[in-house]
Amino acid sequence: MNVEMRGIYKSFGANEVLKDVRFSIVPGEICALLGENGAGKSTLMNILGGVLPPDQGEIYLDGNLVDFRTPADSLNAGIAFIHQELNLINDLSIYENMFIGRELKQKNGFLDTERMCRETSQLFDRMSLDLDPRTMVRDLDASYKQIVEISRALMMNASILIMDEPTSSLTQTEIARVFDMMRTLKDHGVGIVFISHKLNEVMQICTSFAILRDGVKVAEGLVSNVTTSDLARLMVGHEIRTMALQREKEDSHEVLRVDKLSDDKNFHDISFSVNAGEVLGITGLLGDGRSELFQSIIGAARDYSGQVYFEQKPIKVQNTTQAVDIGLGYVPRNRKENGIIKDMTIIENSSIVSWPRISKFGFINQFLQNQKFTEQVRKLQIRLERGTDLITSLSGGNQQKVVLAKWLNTEPKVLILDNPTQGVDVGAKEEIYDIILNLADEGVGIVVLSSEAQEVIRVCDRALVMYHGAIQGEVVGETMNEHDIMRLATGVSLN
Amino acid sequence: MKNLKSESSESILTRITTQWQTKPFFSTGLALLVMIILQTIALGFDFPSVGSWFGTWLQNWINILRNNSGVGIIALGMTLVIISGGIDLSVGSTLVAIGALVMMMIDIGPKGILLNAGITGTPAFIIAIIVAVIGGVLLGQVTGLLITKGKLPPFIVTLGTMKIFRSVTQQFMTGYNPTVPKEFLSIASLQIGGQLLMPILYWLILAIVLHIISMRTTFGRQVIAVGSNERATKLSGVNVNKVKNRIYALMGLLVSLSAVLQVSRIGSMDYANAGSGYEMDAISAVIVGGTRMSGGRGTILGTVLGTLIIAVMNNLLNLVGVPPFLREAFKGVIVIGSVLLQKKESNS
Repeated sequence: MNVEMRGIYKSFGANEVLKDVRFSIVPGEICALLGENGAGKSTLMNILGGVLPPDQGEIYLDGNLVDFRTPADSLNAGIAFIHQELNLINDLSIYENMFIGRELKQKNGFLDTERMCRETSQLFDRMSLDLDPRTMVRDLDASYKQIVEISRALMMNASILIMDEPTSSLTQTEIARVFDMMRTLKDHGVGIVFISHKLNEVMQICTSFAILRDGVKVAEGLVSNVTTSDLARLMVGHEIRTMALQREKEDSHEVLRVDKLSDDKNFHDISFSVNAGEVLGITGLLGDGRSELFQSIIGAARDYSGQVYFEQKPIKVQNTTQAVDIGLGYVPRNRKENGIIKDMTIIENSSIVSWPRISKFGFINQFLQNQKFTEQVRKLQIRLERGTDLITSLSGGNQQKVVLAKWLNTEPKVLILDNPTQGVDVGAKEEIYDIILNLADEGVGIVVLSSEAQEVIRVCDRALVMYHGAIQGEVVGETMNEHDIMRLATGVSLN
Repeated sequence: MKNLKSESSESILTRITTQWQTKPFFSTGLALLVMIILQTIALGFDFPSVGSWFGTWLQNWINILRNNSGVGIIALGMTLVIISGGIDLSVGSTLVAIGALVMMMIDIGPKGILLNAGITGTPAFIIAIIVAVIGGVLLGQVTGLLITKGKLPPFIVTLGTMKIFRSVTQQFMTGYNPTVPKEFLSIASLQIGGQLLMPILYWLILAIVLHIISMRTTFGRQVIAVGSNERATKLSGVNVNKVKNRIYALMGLLVSLSAVLQVSRIGSMDYANAGSGYEMDAISAVIVGGTRMSGGRGTILGTVLGTLIIAVMNNLLNLVGVPPFLREAFKGVIVIGSVLLQKKESNS
């Protein structure tokens, strides 16, 4: 089946997400849909999958105009969307999952288990898969779950598959298994849209590519005609290093060093060091293991092997209380889940970390608490009405500043900031960057974890790029540009 | 004109409803007020004999408060447990276990532990109370450790300890009836102005202490933080396990004090039935008092009001002659009604 999307426009409020996008896919094609976060890939595919209606534009299947209003419309027309979070029920077997919602029944109303198993087996045979339909989905590894989900789509006669980052949670061997399945499908004449950030995989499996940038399709063509480097450049655009960072640096001592850290799951063989007054960036794509790495270091996640040195002394932090005591601060990502305590006031949120320090016989010194709070409000320019209001009454940017304040109150020697400007508007972003740079000037060693290359370039002296739990390379000076960061983050090496 | 009037009365109504929905304290307080008015009517208020009426009224209140002091004290600890996102079903069984321990200590029969050690009178009572408190804290600590180190849900752990504590106590105490010395009874029955006020006094003092702990101390605020967002609290350098352990230890402590009070009020204990249902009564009081079942919000003051609402309602039903079997149903209605209100509030 030929699919063609023409002149697609879509905006959310004033934000134009897609502008006159044309996209097509033919049988037997595996097309990589590429672009940075927020480029409009998901929106485009949600329109094709019937999840969102376009503001303008048409979709043609084999030359016939169609109008998808719900995901079911799209599925009935033969287009299946395999989301990143799989829609399988772990506690049912494979065949039950394959027929969920349209179970086959015998004449007497009971389920026709045998026929469902038989039809599932027949499909698996066609795909040369060796799977028992009666296996529980829970017992399958991630790649087979993916395969079951794809098979279910085929069972419903899908001839176009949209796969949203299918490999992000898979290991190397599992990826190979899914790729085998994709090749088989290709030979059967199925068209596949492959959304991914991993350029090496794109080179490996895809036949064609289309690149979106800021809602506009900027390039398309055959994969055989390009290199990963071309793709990375096209994704980012031509401008290189938006704002140069020139900070005077004195010779300073090392405050944090990490030597060959591994946790056997999320990160392996990580070594780096941070000096006082330095801003080190750690970047990469989602799921590269950087948050897990630093949460392990502060004692809030899995145990690790390797050695951490704090001001030249070997340490092993058992829990977050110890981390606070030695002067190691961690501003977490996902403010809502990890940063704020929504039932508490602004003042309390700003001082929870320092309560043990400002209390006597267990009683919190309210005067000291207010004093420190007022000081931070002034220093960080937090805009609020009353400190006794709930934290949730503040805007995202100001909430983030309160989360920063609770750590600044403890006067850390090393401050780790995980996605510090997540969900923060542009103005507040700049203010937070200034706060970070001021802290560094005061001699705090700073680590900024971020998936935004521009942010890393804006505030960091140098940056490490992670890929699949390992450090893929370091960027500094000339190499600190979006292009090189993107290449490292997608698993390409710089040389 | 008519239109205008209805508009302004509507705005007053909205104001009251918002107050009702956003401030649990307001709604519980109002509910209590209504109860008290009804109770006043039920007691046959009339102007000419206001003096004697007041006497009856006061006596009635003293009875209500005294009869609920035991559950009231337990509900104080239960408040912290529930605010932290937990639950403790074992309070009634802990009460029996600690009650038995106290009676064995102060027994003036041949098997009395302290008597055989040559200690009698006030020193024996003090030692017995200290041992009871330590015992309560230890039992609470067992619960706490199973929850934090064993990573088990509080409901499961305390469902288990509820069975264990009572059954072991019953078995251990078969065929042994300790005699509680009369002097011990004065802990509860010391009269002030001809009235048995001591249990009320203990409840009041503990409520004030718990209120201060909850509002002013690091521990008290950390309890709320843990209940509201455990992950963020942990990432803020709070030792969440330590906080939880302390909560259950404190719960055990309060139960042990309630046990001492119980023994000193009656002078004996029915191991099979004493304290049974206390967990549900305490939880009801906490919930009616506006504490959020899923944790993160709640006050000691609210729980005191909650305890009073249920108590006054019981008294009221008694006064108007509702049959005893039906009274529990009203309790159920109150609990469900108050949670419905909380739900409304969280949706808005």
